Amino acid sequence: MSGPLVLAFETSCDETAVAVTEGTRVLSNVLSSQVDMHARFGGVVPEVAARAHVEAIRSLTHRALREAGVHPDSLDGIAATRGPGLVGSLLVGFSFAKAMAWSRGLPFLGVDHMEGHLFAPRLDFDDFRPPGVVLLASGGHSQVVLINGWGDYRVLGQTIDDAAGEAFDKLARFMGLGFPGGPAIDALSETGDPDRIRFPRALADRRYDFSFSGLKTSVVTTLEKARASGTLPSREDAAASIQEAIVDVLVQKTMNAVEDHGVEIVGGGGGVVANRRLRTRLEEEADRRGVGMFLPRPIMCTDNGAMIGAAAAFRLERGERTEWRAGVDSSMKL
Amino acid sequence: MRILGIDTATGASSVALVESRRLVASAGRTGSRDHDAFLIPAIDFCFAQAGWHPEELDGVVVDVGPGLFTGVRVGIATAQGLATMLGVPIMGASSLDALALRATTGHRYIWAVVDVRRGEVAVAGYQPVPGGAALDAPPELVGYQQFRGILESDAREILVVGDWEALPGSVLRGLRGVRTGMPRYPSADALAEMVVAKVGRGEFGHPREVRPFYMREPDVTLGSVHRREAGLWS
Repeated sequence: MSGPLVLAFETSCDETAVAVTEGTRVLSNVLSSQVDMHARFGGVVPEVAARAHVEAIRSLTHRALREAGVHPDSLDGIAATRGPGLVGSLLVGFSFAKAMAWSRGLPFLGVDHMEGHLFAPRLDFDDFRPPGVVLLASGGHSQVVLINGWGDYRVLGQTIDDAAGEAFDKLARFMGLGFPGGPAIDALSETGDPDRIRFPRALADRRYDFSFSGLKTSVVTTLEKARASGTLPSREDAAASIQEAIVDVLVQKTMNAVEDHGVEIVGGGGGVVANRRLRTRLEEEADRRGVGMFLPRPIMCTDNGAMIGAAAAFRLERGERTEWRAGVDSSMKL
Repeated sequence: MRILGIDTATGASSVALVESRRLVASAGRTGSRDHDAFLIPAIDFCFAQAGWHPEELDGVVVDVGPGLFTGVRVGIATAQGLATMLGVPIMGASSLDALALRATTGHRYIWAVVDVRRGEVAVAGYQPVPGGAALDAPPELVGYQQFRGILESDAREILVVGDWEALPGSVLRGLRGVRTGMPRYPSADALAEMVVAKVGRGEFGHPREVRPFYMREPDVTLGSVHRREAGLWS
């Protein structure tokens, strides 16, 4: 079973990503990461991101088509992320894609970035089929989503303040580990003791919602105090303890959703799901409950064009189109 | 030569189809938001008016600024998308040049002004010549009072075109020999007119050379979280 041949763009944040997909089959998936550009600022700078997208998109498009061995004339549709994300970044991919589609009279589809992430497990696993629960955790989002069926989603819970990836980034910056913080903390934690410091796990009384701003305050206060009294733990122990606090909450809320809704399929998406400790813990908890855990490869967890192509294929097959007069929607919701 | 012009660099947006030097269809509006919602419907409308098919296009020209960063990028991304798919040349042109080309004066020296916000304007001076205007020196980014200083020290009769309404009233008040005039905004038909001869002669560069002309480094505001450059363990 193959699906429509789609050229897909993802430019919602700091990766310019282009892919060619056929249904859920990935023919090419290329990206130009801006991590190094933003590292010196300690976070993603919107204007820097938008500038980099417009520089990269044309040549990446040629590369994606070339690697897929696909001529533009054989495409069935063109898709781009419509939101949520940074408006200046979204506009580059959306405008470019829309113009391409119009010039050949091809169907155009603006895709919800979060729906793209929901399709990522499906790209790596043929047997990832709803109903299921998906944990979406990245620098911009933290959500637990129930997939009743493709196109039928319910956001069960989300962060009430910082996203999980944002917590990693901010705490890594505080610790002097640079940007992005997730991979840095992941690496240091490998040899650290996760039980060295017990940081708070917030919102224990809510089944699915997250909060990470209290953790941030607690880490800053605890480590500053320890430093002043000469009892500063090792960087490794501090990193592992922070990671454990974040991972614990993400795993717990995801498993709450699995139990409450009786699903047998669980997936993950977003850059934080590339975290090794989170992956191990999710696998363990899924095994214990006898449910299937479908965690995409890290490259499919982070922002990519293929996930947008897969989501678009599903909607194009249902006959959906995005009108030419549609604009981006930076605060789009599932 | 059939050329599509796209201009979303300033407070007004426009699209134009030009054949040789004749304007065949155009659409425009004022407002500096939602360029992405305006552009393709406007282009679609113009092609319908002209009875052209996208495949019949010989080239695309886009305003690369100076101007509003987001608008410039939407214009360039749209032009790049069209040119990539249609396999036609893409060219960039300056908003200031487009203003000067349409300035209505026979003898006055022309200063073209584009508002780039944050208290600054992009300006360039042009000598009127038969059928157009010749750029004197590369565009500059100046503060309002700095622009007044430029005009004050110029003894010639001057016509200021472009975003002069964005300037505080005091900037142009009481200046001898200085007048304000049309056009207020660059236009897609002026862009197309500027390049149509070049396309005919095959004078266009590689698409990668069509890039925004920002004239200013990005604004970088660091997060509010307390930042330890060296880290806790140093």
